[in-house]
Amino acid sequence: MTSPLSEFHLAQPRTVKEAIAARLEHPGSRFVAGGTDLLVNMRRGISGPDLLIDLSGIDELTEIKTNGRGVTIGSGVTIATLARNTLVAARYCALLQAAEAIAGPGHRIMGTVGGNLCLDTRCIYYNQSEWWRRANAYCLKSRGDICHVAPQGQRCHAAYAGDLAPALLVLGAEVDIAGAQGHRRIPLGELYVEDGRAHLVLADGELIAAVHLPSDPPPSAYAKVRVRRAVDFPLAGVAVALAASLANVSSLRIALTGTNSRPFLLAGTELFIGRPIDEKLLQEIDRLVQKQVQPKRTTIVSANYRRAAAAALARRMTAKLFAERMA
Amino acid sequence: MHASGPQSKGRLLKLKLNGRWREDVVAESELLVDYLREVARLTGVKIGCDGGECGACTVLIDGEAVPSCITLAARCEGRHIETIEGLATQGRLSRLQRAFHEKLGTQCGFCTPGMIMAAEALLRRNPTPTNSEIRAALSGNLCRCTGYVKIVEAVEAAAGQLHDR
Amino acid sequence: MTADPATDDRLPRRGVPLIDGVEKVTGRARYTADLDHADALVGRILRSPVSHGEIVRLGVSKARALEGVFAVVTGDDCPYTYGVLPVAMNEYPMARERVRYRGEPIAAVAAVDAETAERAIHLIELEMRRLPAYYTSAEARAPGATLLHDDKPGNIEREVHHEFGNWQQGFATADLVREEKISCAEVNHAQIEPHACLADYDPTTERLTVQSVSQVGYYLHLMLARCLEMDASRIRIVKPSIGGGFGARVEVLNFEIITALLARSAAGKVLMRLSREETFLTHRARPQTDITLRLAMRRDGRITACTCEVVQRGGAYAGYGIVTILYAGALLQGLYDIPAVKYDGYRVYANLPPCGAMRGHGSVDTRHVFECLLDRMARDLGLDPFAVRRANLLHAPTRTMNDLIVNSYGLPECLDRVECASRWHDRIGKLPDGKGLGMACSHYVSGAAKPIHWTGEPHAVVNVRLDFDGGITALTGAADIGQGSSTMVAITVSETLGVALNRVRVIAADSAVTPKDNGAYSSRITFMVGNAAIDAAKKLKAILVDAAARKLEARPDDIKMVGENFCIGSGEQASLSFAEVASAALVDRGAITVSGTFTCPPDAQGGRHKGGAVGSTMGFSYAAQVVEVSVDDATGTVTVDKVWAALDCGHAINPLAVEGQIQGSVWMGMGQALCEETRYIDGLPAHASLLEYRMPTIAESPPIEVHIVESHDPYGPFGAKETSEGALASFPPALVNAIANAIGIDFNELPVTPDRVMEALIQRRRQARLASALKAAT
Repeated sequence: MTSPLSEFHLAQPRTVKEAIAARLEHPGSRFVAGGTDLLVNMRRGISGPDLLIDLSGIDELTEIKTNGRGVTIGSGVTIATLARNTLVAARYCALLQAAEAIAGPGHRIMGTVGGNLCLDTRCIYYNQSEWWRRANAYCLKSRGDICHVAPQGQRCHAAYAGDLAPALLVLGAEVDIAGAQGHRRIPLGELYVEDGRAHLVLADGELIAAVHLPSDPPPSAYAKVRVRRAVDFPLAGVAVALAASLANVSSLRIALTGTNSRPFLLAGTELFIGRPIDEKLLQEIDRLVQKQVQPKRTTIVSANYRRAAAAALARRMTAKLFAERMA
Repeated sequence: MHASGPQSKGRLLKLKLNGRWREDVVAESELLVDYLREVARLTGVKIGCDGGECGACTVLIDGEAVPSCITLAARCEGRHIETIEGLATQGRLSRLQRAFHEKLGTQCGFCTPGMIMAAEALLRRNPTPTNSEIRAALSGNLCRCTGYVKIVEAVEAAAGQLHDR
Repeated sequence: MTADPATDDRLPRRGVPLIDGVEKVTGRARYTADLDHADALVGRILRSPVSHGEIVRLGVSKARALEGVFAVVTGDDCPYTYGVLPVAMNEYPMARERVRYRGEPIAAVAAVDAETAERAIHLIELEMRRLPAYYTSAEARAPGATLLHDDKPGNIEREVHHEFGNWQQGFATADLVREEKISCAEVNHAQIEPHACLADYDPTTERLTVQSVSQVGYYLHLMLARCLEMDASRIRIVKPSIGGGFGARVEVLNFEIITALLARSAAGKVLMRLSREETFLTHRARPQTDITLRLAMRRDGRITACTCEVVQRGGAYAGYGIVTILYAGALLQGLYDIPAVKYDGYRVYANLPPCGAMRGHGSVDTRHVFECLLDRMARDLGLDPFAVRRANLLHAPTRTMNDLIVNSYGLPECLDRVECASRWHDRIGKLPDGKGLGMACSHYVSGAAKPIHWTGEPHAVVNVRLDFDGGITALTGAADIGQGSSTMVAITVSETLGVALNRVRVIAADSAVTPKDNGAYSSRITFMVGNAAIDAAKKLKAILVDAAARKLEARPDDIKMVGENFCIGSGEQASLSFAEVASAALVDRGAITVSGTFTCPPDAQGGRHKGGAVGSTMGFSYAAQVVEVSVDDATGTVTVDKVWAALDCGHAINPLAVEGQIQGSVWMGMGQALCEETRYIDGLPAHASLLEYRMPTIAESPPIEVHIVESHDPYGPFGAKETSEGALASFPPALVNAIANAIGIDFNELPVTPDRVMEALIQRRRQARLASALKAAT
């Protein structure tokens, strides 16, 4: 048998309300959706909740709804369901590409939209066994005092490595957050902060209920660099959404994952509006990306590579979207 | 030997396993892979990694191929679990089993049950997959022996797309 | 010594599926962790948290007192070292006084369940005094470095210095001399089955039965007897199904001995299952290696001399190290005709998990450097890469300068086959930007001609039984670890006897039943065990023919087999069924067991120079391959589009399995070349999962087109040689040569990961900018 998980209860609420109530009632509890991230970490002794609150039985979280204002994707929709959705495929290309790039097929069947958005940050010093972390005096993210990646610093640099978030960011997504006081809706970018130890702004008892996408986004794409073509987190992942009128940019959004403790929209792309997409603009994008990403030694592959590859992807994808637009 | 200790937080789990309903008491923290191997004694389900990385434990849950090593048994209430042991009917190999055997899609055999189950889910969903669809569907299953060449051939053969060379 | 394959085309030449294949595809095959362990205790190991240190205190009383704990063992319970080479056993199953790498076993427990075992492990009190630790060869060799082993100055486990021919003259007379320094990362076997062992000790009979993942049950048997101070006759080793080996399980491994110690201490049955992380920590794989190679060449591509320095970072203990560093030098030869060779090898200790044997043992990294350098020199001289190889071919039969015998040599045909299949000359230099072709050659031994434990016995023994039921059972100690060796035995026996394949059963690797075998390593089974199987089958056939002759009142020479029937002439007048002949043969003597053997003649067992036995073999396999790549210059990603691999395996006893072995070894070479690498952070493994140790998935694995070349070795079984290892070593250089062809950059580091490619591209752009700035300035 495998090393046993530390014991816990499993609650299986049927409504969001019940789930939130259970979470607030048990401070040592955790929500679990697909479990592809949390259970792996629990098997390594990283997390030891005494109650898991299973969100997979909550029907209201598993719908994909369309209306005039856009599409609402429930947080419990699995990645595989998302990737098989014809509307998503037709309208939100970056989202489809991101969904198809996640881990392996089995993970995509289990994993959910909400789970991928709330993916724990990752670090070579953190995603290790109990024996390993203990031998290394743990780390700032869990049970330790220093961040081995930046020992002089005050914060944890573990990197966020979800694939969906950058795609949703460039598509202008908002998230619907359910809590004890009801629902609130924020732009997806505001869900995250640049802190590897606590990169989500969710309060205790809050969960992501749904993601809203506007109905008519510009053409978009997502790509990631990784060593293998499956079962590999992004060393850097880039989503681009580009609208152009004639040969000029009318809107350009670029978002990144894998390089920082949060996924983020590249700042400053609004300055490109009205300009033609040429080598000069692509170089400026390259520089902008290189300046804003902050990869650290959280992966075996070098931080420099992740920076350079993120910039290269951003350039290439912008140029490609533009070329497709013109074709 | 069960993964749970004496003061186990147990529950009665009822599920369909390879076509037959059964009930067992399981700990709520028990992983499906341990339930299948240690309780149901279906040791065709393999463990190759420390969680979710290799695909050797792949089983079908309601027809979908998933890693059983990061699935809680208690979450399978009322569902149909299929393992490699359920594929052969009355001792006759399934088309995929026969193809993996005849085309040498298996060498050491350790990844084979998971690989075949992933392929089984694919062929049920898509009886005539392309080469790249086969590769995509099996990309969560690692094999160290074959270089995958004969695995792809085996799936193509099972799908009736490979004529004898 | 040899036999010809049955002349009638009984088996389809495509080959046959594995005789244990049905077990595998149905999930019925039982691997160690699948064996019945309902009443077994669970074993767990306490591992060192530090890289190098002295054990100041080890307190196990609390662990021992925990309810449900049945045994706690430590280094005190085993004062005997274990290992491979009798001269280099410097490792205890559990550390005594000193630990030398993070993850080294210190103590172990057996308890009623995994939770209790883990709780007990946490109750063990350990105080250590840290010592300086070294993670690179250079640090470990630096003057003043603390010695890992007091008797090994400079932290050098073994130095090898060999000189053959006048290399100084070779350099003096050459038209081109080029030197390269290339570094190859440490890699791991990463067989999909994690390590496991089930040990059962009966205190009444004082017998121990061990079922384990071993590739060499015989070594395990020897080491258990040694470490447990048991009479070997009280030990039984049974091999269950094994989920891959690739060399990981040739050496006896610490957890195997620990499990047996626990079982004896608990007076019962203990199942030890290592996690994937622990499986990586157990290691014994290919070491990180720095190689400096210098070649001298004439204008026509003929090599005139070679000097090579190899430094292997071997980890904390000897293991197979001496053999690895000897192989690295010895197998510089045997592939091409090289008139002069100087080799300097250094096997270095470092505070990391011990390295060992891995597919292509010792040969892969030096071959990589050699083939890269050949290509670069071909380029320098304006020669075609194929032409350079052809300028240096051997002519069999021959002996190399270091006394390796070459009786069959299919390399020329391998070259022809891949050159033609890849349309090399039509395509080389004409591919679009970012695409390239590369080629390389390699070879490997068909079994080490000199066994490690020299006993004077035959190198292989196979027993073949025939009983009243007419069933033929081949008994072999050789471990089928997925490579199909039991199927090979079945085929050689059935073809030699002329009986249907399914009349033959194979029972493999149970020390109570099967004759001792030296095991699954150095690709020895087909050559040695195959020959022994043929020998046994011939003996049985002679008995059957005699019996048939008596019954038919004919001379044995007149007896022919048609199908499974024995007849005179065409069989129309007089014919006996197999069952009738078997009954007749049994009349005199009852159930028949014949024993077949194979022994490498002394003159094949290597030269007289020190270490000359390593690399010696009865026959080398030869391989050539062409690799086609695409390089993405934006992300540095290398994609292998196609591989053409040709291997001279002498004769393909089972072509289907030969193809599978070639594809698997080529692909494993691809992993080492592209993406596999073990790295440590202060001695902690940064790669110890199948997520961080990136073996290729099916998604990026290329089609591998196989060409089987049959040179019909005069001594091989039916002319066969090895097929599982030879093709591995030509992949990495063919890839690096293809990348050079695609983007004009020579890589001197393996693996060629996207970050390394990107860094090289950035550096080239920087240099180009610098050069143009300089040009503008002048």
